[in-house]
Amino acid sequence: MTERISKSQRFKMMNPIIQFFKFIYLSIKIMIVVAGGHGGTREVK
Amino acid sequence: MSKIVILGAGISGHVAASHLRRKLSKEHKVIVVSPNSNYQWIPSNIWVGIGRMKSKEILFPLAPLYRKKNITFLQAKAVSFHPEGDPKESKPYVLSEYVVGEKKGTQEKVTYDYLINATGPKLNFEATDGLIPGLNKTYSVCTYGHADHAWHGLNELIQEMKKGKKAKILIGTGHAKATCQGAAFEYILNVEQELRKHKVRDMAEVTWISNEYQLGDFGMDGMLLSYKGMTMKSSEMVEMIFEDRDIKWILGAGVDKIEDGLAHYENLDGEHKTESYDFAMLIPAFSGHGFKAFDKDNQDITNKLFKGFMIVDADYTSKPYEEWSVQDWPETYQNPSYKNIFAPGIAFAPPHAISKPRKSKNGTDISPAPPRTGMPSGITAKLVADNIIDSIKKGKESLEHKGSLGNMGAACIASAGYGLTQGSGVSITTYPIIPDYHKYPKSQGRQLGKTFGEIGLAGHWLKLALHYAFIYKAKMKPFWWLIPE
Repeated sequence: MTERISKSQRFKMMNPIIQFFKFIYLSIKIMIVVAGGHGGTREVK
Repeated sequence: MSKIVILGAGISGHVAASHLRRKLSKEHKVIVVSPNSNYQWIPSNIWVGIGRMKSKEILFPLAPLYRKKNITFLQAKAVSFHPEGDPKESKPYVLSEYVVGEKKGTQEKVTYDYLINATGPKLNFEATDGLIPGLNKTYSVCTYGHADHAWHGLNELIQEMKKGKKAKILIGTGHAKATCQGAAFEYILNVEQELRKHKVRDMAEVTWISNEYQLGDFGMDGMLLSYKGMTMKSSEMVEMIFEDRDIKWILGAGVDKIEDGLAHYENLDGEHKTESYDFAMLIPAFSGHGFKAFDKDNQDITNKLFKGFMIVDADYTSKPYEEWSVQDWPETYQNPSYKNIFAPGIAFAPPHAISKPRKSKNGTDISPAPPRTGMPSGITAKLVADNIIDSIKKGKESLEHKGSLGNMGAACIASAGYGLTQGSGVSITTYPIIPDYHKYPKSQGRQLGKTFGEIGLAGHWLKLALHYAFIYKAKMKPFWWLIPE
């Protein structure tokens, strides 16, 4: 096994407090990307 | 009074039915025709396949909900399409056959003013010799039934490993042109974590097998994404995760035959190889359902409606990869020959793949077909419903709502292990889904700020939150429409 994710990175990935804030951040960011609208690609503006 | 018939009650069909019913008055009739009695939230099949969720947690019966919401439900399968009617029936109709109850086997002409074909894909296990869920130690997680079965197979193997058996686990794609690599990616990470939980990880060799040219292609030509302030290739991110979890990989593999514990495949170098396994979960090829269509004189017009999947407003002109464009992809999902027929979700025929097509040295096509997951399925179903609603209310065709996959974002929240404190997820968003190389020439066709990846516990919580939110929404509970698709 090659340890590609360091112990400190793993700690941050699995720390519930850090991840709680990440959860809020990701939820908002995903909403912006996904619910941010969609449309066509063929209309010439 | 308008009559809207929806074929299929998966994510796409159910979303369309829900919005049509909510926005149209009761004088208009919404009819759902589906052979399945249950709605299932497919993204959570992964957790059923590792025994962390029961299938009853990801499904609910459709009939009581539709009765309550004044949606007519026919548990039947579509047999043939008659968009001009026939000598005896002047209205267009779909010939449907009931699959349960007293009417089982009876065929009925279900007439319509508007038709939404949301029949999704056929799981084409037959395309790979010997690939049958539950046989030859191969499984699938494509339906909740398959996922239940997969867990039984995996659990048996785990028990044997606890007694000292060394095992090989093979997960990935089971056909040279398969898609849905994302589901297999989730499953391999979940299985790997479960092996650790059961303290048998050191007894297993876990291998990824895929028709992708590179890791992290996902049938979307891979992507450049923002990760911890850097710009990273999706191939690098997946490689990092696989190496960290000691998962081996075989790429450019077109699995063509399965025997008991043996997967035979051809690779891009044209070599024919065999991989042995004790448990395999291989995603089959997807195909259209093979529907036939007839005009009013009962002449075959299947090629006006279908090209495998249903023909819509895409540009199907055959052209080389270098000339592919986002403009080739459909915007309204309307059939060009019959303007009252639409095919959102997975039911429409894509103009071409997204990943670069590749052939083996023997000329075998080995590359992923385009994936069309739950999120775009819901979005395209809603815009089709909105266009039908506008057309009914205005009394003339209205196609104001558009949603090309080339101008739409998608989130892939890939579970990487289950557990409220020990779980993990790989959250990837992509914008646009189809790379637009003209608009974003320096970032492989995607907008970097909106295309990003994150790994961690929050991803698991997010997937869990989406599970509960979308089942709430599907059950049409109060204010369900506030939850975006």
